[in-house]
Amino acid sequence: MDKETLKQKILEVMQKKAGSGGKSKIYLKDLQREIPEANPRDIKNAANELVREGKLEYFSTGSTVMYGLPGVGMGLEAGVEKPKEE
Amino acid sequence: MGEVKKHDTPMMDELKSGPWPSFVDDIYNYAEKHKKQACFDILGQMELSYKNKETHWKHGGIVGVFGYGGGVIGRYSDQQDKFPAIWAFHTVRVNQPAAKWYHSSALRKLCDLWDHRGSGIMNLHGSTGDIILLGTVTEQLEYIFYDLTHQLKMDLGGSGSNLRTPECCMGMSRCEWSCIDTQDITYELTMHFQDELHRPAFPYKFKIKVSGCPNDCVAAIARADFSIIGTWRDDIKIDQEAVRAYVAGELKPNAGAHSDRDWGPFDIKKEVIDLCPTKCMFWDEGQKKLYINNKECNRCMHCINVMPEALRPGDDRGAVILMGAKAPILEGAQLSTVIVPFMRLEPPYDNLKNLLYKVWDYWMENGKNRERLGETIQRVGLNRFIVDVLGLKPLPQHVKEPRSNPYIFWKEEEVEGGWTRDVAEFRKRHPA
Ligand code: HEM
Ligand code: SF4
Ligand code: SF4
Repeated sequence: MDKETLKQKILEVMQKKAGSGGKSKIYLKDLQREIPEANPRDIKNAANELVREGKLEYFSTGSTVMYGLPGVGMGLEAGVEKPKEE
Repeated sequence: MGEVKKHDTPMMDELKSGPWPSFVDDIYNYAEKHKKQACFDILGQMELSYKNKETHWKHGGIVGVFGYGGGVIGRYSDQQDKFPAIWAFHTVRVNQPAAKWYHSSALRKLCDLWDHRGSGIMNLHGSTGDIILLGTVTEQLEYIFYDLTHQLKMDLGGSGSNLRTPECCMGMSRCEWSCIDTQDITYELTMHFQDELHRPAFPYKFKIKVSGCPNDCVAAIARADFSIIGTWRDDIKIDQEAVRAYVAGELKPNAGAHSDRDWGPFDIKKEVIDLCPTKCMFWDEGQKKLYINNKECNRCMHCINVMPEALRPGDDRGAVILMGAKAPILEGAQLSTVIVPFMRLEPPYDNLKNLLYKVWDYWMENGKNRERLGETIQRVGLNRFIVDVLGLKPLPQHVKEPRSNPYIFWKEEEVEGGWTRDVAEFRKRHPA
């Protein structure tokens, strides 16, 4: 599978997962499970490239990292609104 | 900046009364000198946590710097009304130089950067090994990254499901026992695996730590998924003259490390021979000569530590590679286990890199979410991991001790006649 096809496939998986009211953040492993025909390292490289292009974003707890679609689900500041400046 | 406000913190203040310098004093002094509300707020929130006996930090978030999937850890207060200055209080991990040597001017610059763009609180070093810069807001992250990389020539470290910043003991820079160049190995692996370090690649975290000898000063065996520990294959070098000088009390055992108390005269039998875990040493009182049966020695370093002038590691040097240590999340804590008993380590360390790739390829494909390498090994079985995954031969060194893990598992093709048997044939010999 060439890289562009793989990237397209990753976005489709993400949209499908997020669309059905499901998960907005998924692990690299979940992507690998959904696209078994691709090599895990290629999936990793493609997903990281999508982040650089702004089509995916990282969500990190510090100990693990998940991928999400920008603006979907838990937001930039983990649902925290920055207080207004007085 | 407006007026800063100190919170009422009786429980925090109590911590100042102990015998050691307190972080509470440190943070308050700094907060007052630099008028940093974040520092007052952090102690205020900690007081509240002591009172409520629960944390008020939320974690997780999308914060990071462009192109990196690690190095910044998002943290937020769930008490924004009370402590607005720490509503965001992100941690920045900075890749420390190998063996953690700094020029004081680099540290000064780093402190200036953090006074200016962060809370001013830092931690050298975090248990990961990185320099930990504690507490900044999202808007500052790109500036911090730019200053770090362009002015200080430092990089962010690893976090999340990435390769974590490799770490090592001071090795050959200061320590005569180092059997490998720990700093060079750490530097080379760090540079070679930049992508794995900065972008998530794995089911979970992966740590590499390098110690120059079995004293294992970075505790690689306990803290790293991939532990590299220097060792030697030939004989311990003995200077019999110096051994006699220890016995005669002319040289101080342990290089004088225990001289704060009078332990009586040095007793080579009690302090060295009897403590050798493999009982492979012999002191001939008549001949005044030390013998070591090196075939039995397991390179524990004890005798060398006690008599450093008399004993030295051998000259045929390399490293033992162990895998699988982790802290107790699932299944309890675990030490790394020997996988490659001896590997010669010379630049550019291709043998080491190839072994890492082999392990990662398997773990990336077969590891479960949040499963450390040690847990994967446990799940598939050490024997299968060594033989099928890595293609290595099982060796005596893989066995911790006889009768603790000696079970030998056969594959069907290795057994004459396989698993299946002819029941009729069997019943001829063993009537039902
Ligand atoms: C009253 C009957 C039994 C006695 C007294 C007995 C005794 C023992 C002893 C002393 C050991 C430890 C051996 C060692 O590690 O040095 C052992 C291990 C073992 N026994 Fe038995 N056994 C009995 C019945 C059975 C039966 C019926 C089976 C299988 C059907 C069995 C399977 C095993 C296995 C697989 C181990 C190794 C377990 C492990 O290491 O986790 N035993 N047994
Ligand atoms: S691990 Fe060994 S080589 Fe490294 S600093 Fe400690 S004693 Fe020296
Ligand atoms: S290194 Fe340890 S095992 Fe080897 S001879 Fe010395 S005390 Fe014994």
